Amino acid sequence: MTESSDITRDYDLYLGCVAPNRYPMIEASTVQVFKKLGINLHDMKGASCCPAPGVFRSFDIPTWRAIASRNITIAEQDRRDIAVMCNGCFGTLLEANHLMNSHPDQRTETNAILEKVGRQFEGTVKVRHIIDILYNDVGPKAISDMVIQPLRGVKAAVHYGCHLLKPSETRPWGKDENPTFFDDIVEASGAESIDYKDKFMCCGAGGGVRAAIKDVSMDFTREKLSNMKDAGVDIIVDCCPFCHLQFDLGQVEVKAMFGEEYRFPVIYISQLLGLAMGISPYDLGLIATKDKPPGTPPFIPTEPFVKKVVEGM
Amino acid sequence: MVLIKEQIKKIDKSIVEEVVEDELLERFKSCYQCGTCTGGCPSGRRAAIRTRDVIRQALVGLDDDLLSSDLLWLCSTCYTCYERCPRDVPTTDIIIKLRNIASHRGLMKGPHLAVSKMLIETGHGVPINDEKWSNLRKSLKLTPLPPTVHSFPEAVKEVQTIIKELKFDELIAYGEEVKKKLAEEEKKRAPERIEELEAELKQLKEEAGK
Amino acid sequence: MVNSDEEPRIGVYICDCGVNIAGVLDNDELREYAATLPNVVKSERYKFMCSEIGQKLIQEDIENGEINRVVVAACSPRMHENTFRKATREAGLNEFLFEQANIREHDSWVHMRQQDDAQSIAQDIVRMAVAKASKLEPLEVMKVEVKPSALVIGAGIAGINVAKDLGDQGFDVTLVEKTPTIGGHMAQLDKTFPTMDCSACIITPEMVEVGNHPNINILNYAEVTKVDGFVGNFKVEITKKPHYVDQEACTGCGGCSDVCPVITGNEFDEGMKERKAIYLPFPQAVPNKFTIDMDHCIKCELCKDECEPDAINFDDKPKKIEKEFGTIIVTTGYKAFDPSDYTPYGFGRFPNVITGLQMERELSSFGPTVGKPVRPSDGKAPHSIAFFQCVGSRSFQPGMNNYCSRVCCMYAMKQARQYKEKHPEAEIYILYMDIRAFGKGYEEFYEIAAREYGINFIRGRAAEVFENPENNNIIIRAEDTLLKRPIELEVDMVVLSVGLEAQEDATVISRLLNVSQTADGFFMEAHPKLRPIDTLSDGIFVAGVAQGPKDIPDTVAQAKGAASGAASLMAQGEVEIEPYFSVINNALCSSCLSCVDLCPYTAISYDKLANLVTINKALCKGCGTCTAACPCNAITQNHFKVSQIMAMIDTAIPTR
Repeated sequence: MTESSDITRDYDLYLGCVAPNRYPMIEASTVQVFKKLGINLHDMKGASCCPAPGVFRSFDIPTWRAIASRNITIAEQDRRDIAVMCNGCFGTLLEANHLMNSHPDQRTETNAILEKVGRQFEGTVKVRHIIDILYNDVGPKAISDMVIQPLRGVKAAVHYGCHLLKPSETRPWGKDENPTFFDDIVEASGAESIDYKDKFMCCGAGGGVRAAIKDVSMDFTREKLSNMKDAGVDIIVDCCPFCHLQFDLGQVEVKAMFGEEYRFPVIYISQLLGLAMGISPYDLGLIATKDKPPGTPPFIPTEPFVKKVVEGM
Repeated sequence: MVLIKEQIKKIDKSIVEEVVEDELLERFKSCYQCGTCTGGCPSGRRAAIRTRDVIRQALVGLDDDLLSSDLLWLCSTCYTCYERCPRDVPTTDIIIKLRNIASHRGLMKGPHLAVSKMLIETGHGVPINDEKWSNLRKSLKLTPLPPTVHSFPEAVKEVQTIIKELKFDELIAYGEEVKKKLAEEEKKRAPERIEELEAELKQLKEEAGK
Repeated sequence: MVNSDEEPRIGVYICDCGVNIAGVLDNDELREYAATLPNVVKSERYKFMCSEIGQKLIQEDIENGEINRVVVAACSPRMHENTFRKATREAGLNEFLFEQANIREHDSWVHMRQQDDAQSIAQDIVRMAVAKASKLEPLEVMKVEVKPSALVIGAGIAGINVAKDLGDQGFDVTLVEKTPTIGGHMAQLDKTFPTMDCSACIITPEMVEVGNHPNINILNYAEVTKVDGFVGNFKVEITKKPHYVDQEACTGCGGCSDVCPVITGNEFDEGMKERKAIYLPFPQAVPNKFTIDMDHCIKCELCKDECEPDAINFDDKPKKIEKEFGTIIVTTGYKAFDPSDYTPYGFGRFPNVITGLQMERELSSFGPTVGKPVRPSDGKAPHSIAFFQCVGSRSFQPGMNNYCSRVCCMYAMKQARQYKEKHPEAEIYILYMDIRAFGKGYEEFYEIAAREYGINFIRGRAAEVFENPENNNIIIRAEDTLLKRPIELEVDMVVLSVGLEAQEDATVISRLLNVSQTADGFFMEAHPKLRPIDTLSDGIFVAGVAQGPKDIPDTVAQAKGAASGAASLMAQGEVEIEPYFSVINNALCSSCLSCVDLCPYTAISYDKLANLVTINKALCKGCGTCTAACPCNAITQNHFKVSQIMAMIDTAIPTR
């Protein structure tokens, strides 16, 4: 159990699209780790796509804001703040929540639409990234206290992603081009965060670039992978399913597109913490069970990494 | 040859008005073209987008060139430029607004139309559209379908109602229509282009002969 | 002669101010409207009321006996109140029977896009001024003595020039300096643009001259801690910080410093060179006396044993000095922008990123590298250097300044040229947004930098830098905006052309002296064009960068202007002050003393024996705080009497 007792212990877990529908190990590991930390993540029933900020916000802002606000109203009815696992969803829900709270004209406009589906945005809940909860509520100290299987000797390339940090005026950590909070969480597992060139650079997936202009998108990823390789890391740790997909599937795509081969296991933060806390690597999706269908992630196997660090595996 | 005078005539401020409909974006008029945005742009390092130039073009209203090009869609919305702009120009938000303007002229990218159709049909931009995804969930002791719109048909209806109210479905249909029209025009233009190329080739040969 | 006890006969004069007012307002309509107002007997319109002809219009009407009150609807009273008062006085009417209605700054300028509304606002403003004019009473201007002594705060090149000019004219000058030596930033500079004069060579003789001047008393290592009084009679408390070295006894031999075991960064060298805990900031410091920096001293007392004249005194205490001054001149200068918090430029993280002032010290022949700049990581002369312009300037980023610092373009080019003179083979890049070479000989300096020195100008603000881990080189990312191309440039060293900003304690000075600051923190001048050196507090002047960024020639010019302004006040020996003071009716006063506590100028005193509250007319600034607070309505304020203000309010509120 964590030491601080005054923190919120019940959240609505906003799933988004990529986590539940492509990388469910992110969903599974997050629920298990938070349970161990004494925080209950409840189903946010009937939530839709956030909708994705790079694409849908780019096409029609009123539609983006209305669908995002609808998602927020679900949590408002549940009277719980929202926990988000994805940087993009975090960006959308946080920004929409902010706009609806700070711009009465936009709120009136959007509420008129929500009325057609029997909903009203009230502005009663907070939108929080799980990294925010892990760092600011639980704290790296309490996390490391729960570690029973320290991941010593593991060199991690920590990837923050963009919308976790920016635009900074609405983010909980303010304006800082070289933050360390995520590294502190990663290091609570016993792993070492290795500095690498352009660490805060985008993975290349966002803004609809991955969908529309694939070669440019993959060139971002290739550059990041190459910088990680130069720094001599073992794994990539992220906190966003879309970045996760871009790095995992991306290594296959980079090989096909540029002929450069990388084999970095891509680990979501809750998978990493879960492993260090002694949760079964099978439950965390780090080692494939026999039921895992072919053609599903991870595309870069995480099993060898787990076997290397966990004694007796 | 296009005379510079002609180009200057083309400058019209209508797009500026469209952008600054939202007062938050008005600051872009104070851009002094320093290039901090482009200088730190991860996309600009490998592709044609010059954020500074996008802002400049939007300001002087050379809309068609900008809106129909790929440039706007090369931004990964990483907000690096937005954070650093010394004039507090909300650069990324300007690009998003310009994308809205382009989209409303039917100038979205093909894959974006496809993702939008997924959203309209299922409420997810990336839905479970193959059994293997449910099986993967099951292998992790999760429900075959997540407790999202996938488990609540009435929730999908809600999303669809919102989409209809805001005519997002019509926007996507219009995008597809424009896409088709442009493709046909391209096809029609192609023979002319071949003639042009042949003429150029002939001229080159003649010159080489001299 | 007009008798003010007569029924008011008001003349209203509407000024077009060219198109400034008439371009927005219908002044004929306004003139007709004014004619309908109570007590108005004359209503005129003219294109420039402040012109001689405009003033004559008023004067003739006064002299003919047509009017005995004047209202001019024109610009702000700040602009022309004195003009019209003088005209009124010269025509034989008490000048306080004049009232100015501001229909320019308060109306036509701010409502130029809402002409109809502007017209009705103009009517309101004129109506209120007429209402007040009806209630105006004649007042007599007071004269106070001006003491022939000046306080100069800050002893950089501005303060030194003010002190010298005033001292030469025979005034008694006290020059207060916060640090142990006079000289300011100019003493830190190597050469000055565009003439390449040696900065130290031209300022040190001035420092010595001021140091030896019979009329100038230097109070170094001292700060102004209290200011009372008013123009001509400022009572000032100055606190001298303890040197822990008897300044009379110290011979400046330096024996103490030689034995001191403590080593810390020298502020004068921007931390690029070391100094001891007992130190002289630099060899030419004036006064040439040592000081112990108690933040670093370990009290080993080795210096005490070494000092022959036995000047070391660990029990030294701050000393308070009180003195009266006729005038005060603020020349507190600037602080260079600290780029540590702007992470994309890596200052403090990468050793080979330095500031412009650090480069200046490196270029100085008595600086840390004896005039041969090296890069901090390996002590080698850099082959390539990039200068980043506008660091901390022209930016809305948090902690940065919106304004242009005016000197950075020139100092970067100057440093670039100096380095090229020493290393002709070096590659120099200046990353700029606009080159602002506005002074005499500056544009020419720029052209030569490009053509003759081959300095590469890249039009683009640096976006970010990172370090090449192998050689500590700096890799710069930017856009060459003229080529529309992102660039990556690897150089040996980066110099950040940091801007100038207001001193951190400018707010303290502002409060002590009651001198306002503009939004950027610099001291505010009385008028940006016509009174650039005066402040709104009479008898207090400002010169140099304390007022806003400027180069050395402009600073010296301003300093001489401020000296002249102060001298003319002191030479006259007395000064008129406006009779806006508050008056107390002791018959109504209940001696509750609320006013005594509230008065921000300590102008109100209470004589317990006589049970009498009195207001010092000279100290009172007419702020009205006591008037509003008095529960007995015993206090009235001249020219702003309750009856006068109420007349304005009554007419301002539309009758229902």
